[in-house]
Amino acid sequence: MEAMTGTEFTEWLRGRSDGQLRTLVAARPELVTPVPAHMDALAARASTPSAVGRALDRLDRFTLSVLETLILRPPPVTRDDLRAPLARAAAGKGAESALDHALDEALERLRTRALVHDSGPALRPAPGVAEALDPPAALGPPAAEVFRHHPPERIEAILADVAGARGATGAAASARDGQAPRDRLTALLADDATVARLVGEVSPQARAALEELAWGPPTGRLPNAHREVTAASAQSPIEQLLARGLLGATGEETVALPREVALFLRDGRIHRDLSPCPPELTGTARGPALADRTAAGQAFAFVRAVEELCELWSADPPGVLRTGGLAVRDLRRTAQLLDLPEWAAGLIVEVAHAAGLVAAGEGEWLPTNGYDSWRVRATEDRWTVLATAWLAMDRVPGLIGGRDDRDRPLNALHADLRRPGVAQVRARTLAVLAAAPPGLAPDPGSVLARLAWEQPRRRAALRDQLAEFALREAEHIGLTGLGVLSEHGRALAQIDGLPDADGRASALLATLLPEPVDHVLLQADLTAVAPGPLTTDLGRWLALAADVESKGGATVYRFGERSVRRALDAGQSADDLLAMLEKHSATGVPQPLRYLVTDVARRHGRIRVGTASSYVRCDDPALLDEVLADKRAGLLRLRRLAPTVLASKTSRAGLVDSLRAMGYAPVAESLEGDVVVARADARRTEGRLPSRPAGGSGPDADVAAAAVRAMRAGDEAHRAHRRPSGAPDGQVPRTRSTDAIQALQEAIRQGSRVWIGYLDSQGHATSRILEPARLEGGYLTAYDETRATVHRFALHRITGVTEYGG
Amino acid sequence: MNDGPLIVQSDKTLLLEVDHERAGECRKAIAPFAELERAPEHVHTYRVTPLALWNARAAGHDAEQVVDALIGYSRYPVPHALLVDIAETMARYGRLRLEKHPIQGLTLTTTDRAVLEEVLRSKKVRPMLGERFSPDAVAVHPSERGNIKQALLKLGWPAEDLAGYVDGEHHPIDLREDGWTLRPYQKEAADAFWHGGSGVVVLPCGAGKTIVGAAAMAHAKATTLILVTNTVSAHQWKQELLRRTSLTEDEIGEYTGTKKEIRPVTIATYQVMTTRRQGTYRHLELFDARDWGLVVYDEVHLLPAPIFRMTADLQARRRVGLTATLVREDGREGDVFSLIGPKRYDAPWKEMENQGWIAPADCVEVRVTLSDEERLAYAMAESEERYRFCSTTPSKTRVTEALVRRHGDEQVLVIGQYIDQLDELGEHLDAPVIKGETRVRERERLFQAFRDKEINVLVVSKVANFSIDLPEASVAIQVSGTFGSRQEEAQRLGRVLRPKADGGGARFYSIVSRDTVDQEFAAHRQRFLAEQGYAYQIVDADDIGEEDPAR
Repeated sequence: MEAMTGTEFTEWLRGRSDGQLRTLVAARPELVTPVPAHMDALAARASTPSAVGRALDRLDRFTLSVLETLILRPPPVTRDDLRAPLARAAAGKGAESALDHALDEALERLRTRALVHDSGPALRPAPGVAEALDPPAALGPPAAEVFRHHPPERIEAILADVAGARGATGAAASARDGQAPRDRLTALLADDATVARLVGEVSPQARAALEELAWGPPTGRLPNAHREVTAASAQSPIEQLLARGLLGATGEETVALPREVALFLRDGRIHRDLSPCPPELTGTARGPALADRTAAGQAFAFVRAVEELCELWSADPPGVLRTGGLAVRDLRRTAQLLDLPEWAAGLIVEVAHAAGLVAAGEGEWLPTNGYDSWRVRATEDRWTVLATAWLAMDRVPGLIGGRDDRDRPLNALHADLRRPGVAQVRARTLAVLAAAPPGLAPDPGSVLARLAWEQPRRRAALRDQLAEFALREAEHIGLTGLGVLSEHGRALAQIDGLPDADGRASALLATLLPEPVDHVLLQADLTAVAPGPLTTDLGRWLALAADVESKGGATVYRFGERSVRRALDAGQSADDLLAMLEKHSATGVPQPLRYLVTDVARRHGRIRVGTASSYVRCDDPALLDEVLADKRAGLLRLRRLAPTVLASKTSRAGLVDSLRAMGYAPVAESLEGDVVVARADARRTEGRLPSRPAGGSGPDADVAAAAVRAMRAGDEAHRAHRRPSGAPDGQVPRTRSTDAIQALQEAIRQGSRVWIGYLDSQGHATSRILEPARLEGGYLTAYDETRATVHRFALHRITGVTEYGG
Repeated sequence: MNDGPLIVQSDKTLLLEVDHERAGECRKAIAPFAELERAPEHVHTYRVTPLALWNARAAGHDAEQVVDALIGYSRYPVPHALLVDIAETMARYGRLRLEKHPIQGLTLTTTDRAVLEEVLRSKKVRPMLGERFSPDAVAVHPSERGNIKQALLKLGWPAEDLAGYVDGEHHPIDLREDGWTLRPYQKEAADAFWHGGSGVVVLPCGAGKTIVGAAAMAHAKATTLILVTNTVSAHQWKQELLRRTSLTEDEIGEYTGTKKEIRPVTIATYQVMTTRRQGTYRHLELFDARDWGLVVYDEVHLLPAPIFRMTADLQARRRVGLTATLVREDGREGDVFSLIGPKRYDAPWKEMENQGWIAPADCVEVRVTLSDEERLAYAMAESEERYRFCSTTPSKTRVTEALVRRHGDEQVLVIGQYIDQLDELGEHLDAPVIKGETRVRERERLFQAFRDKEINVLVVSKVANFSIDLPEASVAIQVSGTFGSRQEEAQRLGRVLRPKADGGGARFYSIVSRDTVDQEFAAHRQRFLAEQGYAYQIVDADDIGEEDPAR
């Protein structure tokens, strides 16, 4: 029977069009890793418990209910057979036509995913589906299963009570037919009239207990479950049920409600509160424009915070913990410096890390060289980098500060923060937000309800937690504003199907961000207000000549003696400074500021300080004259500071050696008094490449198409026992491996055939004609015409690739 | 892009572009919940602090209004995190309330049980509380009404005080508006205080805070205790009350170092109140001497710590604080909030000046250069002596003389910190010197002579910092100050800000030694005024020639 279904399923699969198979592969990418050799292999893989389980995990509640209904109905089942129980379950939830529409869509979805196949006019679940769904719809085991381990005499006792006074003859008659007692009991329980009578016999308390179990969970704990009770001797409500077989013992201390009884109690429905449409999103209405602006404001603040973090860490990097990660103390300090709550600081740290802006190097967390190139880009592009990294990253910043299963604290940047499915939860959460009507900020509760409806089989607690984090983080990053998904957020999350390759998100965000300004407002209290982000040159200049007092949409700078001196130190003159101020001031230069600049300049540079690596000191100026006059001293770059002192740029050791070589007898002096002024440069570490976004959930279209092609070809060969075609004569020209990979990728995209040179496992040079399907993990999966099968080839053994026209 | 006048910074400061056409309405919209921090010529800075937000809540504004104002006037998108933070902070006020319960007396009630649980766990708060007679209410020891408000503010859950006030002993007080009327802002200030119950009124020096006090008394119509900074100021309060209200000489008592009168309206000095003998405050009984219906705190930013402690026990009485600035050098703004009350009225100085209520003022910083010997001596001076050395340099005396000469026909005040410097100046200028040891009678004689223009130049020490009403003084020359005290500078400028009979402006000189700590302190002192829009001109002492340096 099973084998037959299997064959039927395989044939059905084989009969699907290439397009349908491509959709299947796209929806269940795990079926083609690696690419199956032929349709039999594909069918077998599609029926494995793990593959079915993963496919079921992706189904929404309604589609899953349709599938459960199909499994529970006695075959053969047509569409209309399915409709009746679904309609009852969904009564009062929208129009009839909506149900029909939803049912057709669900069935199509199930067919597309090869979870259901047609068998004439009837529908059948694919092999493995029923097992993977067991028990369906929170129902208990069938009666045959429940009473399997009951001794025959116990069943006889139950039968006696079931048959009751009136049915005794009927039961006796069946017994004479030679049917086993268990089968007789099963048959009786499958009969609605009998069950109705039995339910009518028990006490109200017992009926309440039944109702409780009817919608699941269908099992309960009961000490001494295998007790011998009859309708007459039953004391408690539970015993009344046990005596009548309405409840059966499935273990020493467990009882279960037989599936037949539950179905009767469910009154023809299989599901309760079934809705063919996803639950409505409810929440607060906001102005979409306002939401976009708020999100943009937050995006701006977020980018700024990341930059501030990197600047902080480049001057004063925190250490990497021995186990990896960032110490709690360091995170707290960072949060304080950024003036953010700890969770937000954790998010910023994690996103900066995921975007490749900070990384561990030399035992410290340091900004990477990637940060330097990121820093100079436009704000909107910088934001896109960060937001993309967040979408794709597999860590959960929200877990920071919590504790793991072994009650150890979870640190930021630690590997323990990884949760494999989180990127998908983020994408789905954003998709739910995108599905909301424009301007609606859905309540978190309704978002979670929607997510639960979309993927009911996922672990709810974890998913809810991750989704809540995702909502909070999306808001903080500026993907959403006031709870509404912004336009740029929508573009970035690729919700309308367009990939963001052309920077749509950046472009949308750019229109909302403050435009750069090239002037400041100077005031008599020695402040300068830049009423927007400054043009790069002016910004850099002001950062030199004044101290930043407050940041945000605008920047407030304060001029002080120290900052003016800093600008003078950097080589500006008082006139330069005043000219620059005049040029960029919208309002003239106030007198106190003018006074400050000239006053500081007046005193600037009266004391001169220089650096010298070493010096020569001698009480006899004549000897120093001699040294200076020596031609060989030219390389030492000596400079006379005073009659008895020379300064040199050469190191002390080098100077001593050179002077000795020149025939003098110098003595090195201790370091005391020797001033070396060198500010350590901001430090950097090598960063790794930021993780690439997963790019949707499935393989891209090219890969799916190639995989289907390969399977088809393999399948034909497999079935027709096609003769392998011979490889052409001659040698395939050698190709560099990068070129080879490129050629193979091209062939996958084009669906064309290639001729390759290949070293087989014995090291013999062979040549093959291939139809490449998939390139992954150092292996090429392809249909091999010369062997007439789908085969995996190690890339490093491919010696050459060339196009094959034949 | 929105073209609003406001820029919201991520550190919760608000930048208001004053030349913007919507600046006026925007200022009105944000003033309730943001403290004006700086008001220089082009861009005013407001700060949204928790205290400011709670002040707004106390005045009946809600988070929605605040957020609307920010979004409506903001030029750039407002970061969402900031909006959330504002809403959360505002929501903290009023979760806890002090109320009168018919049986339990003073109680702390809550609308949010979790908050009550949190504060109950606080070791500081718990001892002040009595029985928790319902899940949402707990009795409070009546004597702890002030302390618990202070403690709750520190925990970040400021309590709304709805426990009401005792009326106090009735006493008729009316304003007598003969030949003068209450200015609109004075009336607004007094009304705002009265409706709020208790609180602080912030008005610039010279804007008539005494009259606001009198108007508040006229509202209360009850016996009043007035706390002022010193004896001279006490006398002035008395004179002013006699002039402005229906009160008579025998109704007003002075409680100072010399007199100890307790009358329906009693004016006491902080100094007397905080005098201790053998470790106890001798004059505490004054607070209980009568059933006061109103307590007025003059110059609330100077309120000494012991008075705070005493005030904590006066929470059932109406309190009004008067000040020119809420800036406290000791950072105890939170105590003012919880013990005196929220800010009830505030008006920026420059606006008052534009309306003609206070005299316009030019501020000039004159920099003198130390001679070479002085510089050497300065460099060698002990660090604690340095300030005194550079702020009393003889060069300053010369500059002062030049300035006094220039303003020969005007009433000039010379203000300083160091007595010997002042004595020397007095000699050089041939002017009387008023200092701490000058007897009160003599002081008043000299002040009167100055008002009557019998003398043109008066040299005063810091005794004259506060509440000395010298309306005719139009020039003040500050030769030295108390290190970097910002409020002192403001007070001293206030001496010359009273509107002049001739409507003329005032001139404030601050003489500073260049390249010394004096200059640093001066910069710090000037910040408050510069932020209030008083731009300091800086001139070199050598430029003080015959022509006017400020032109």
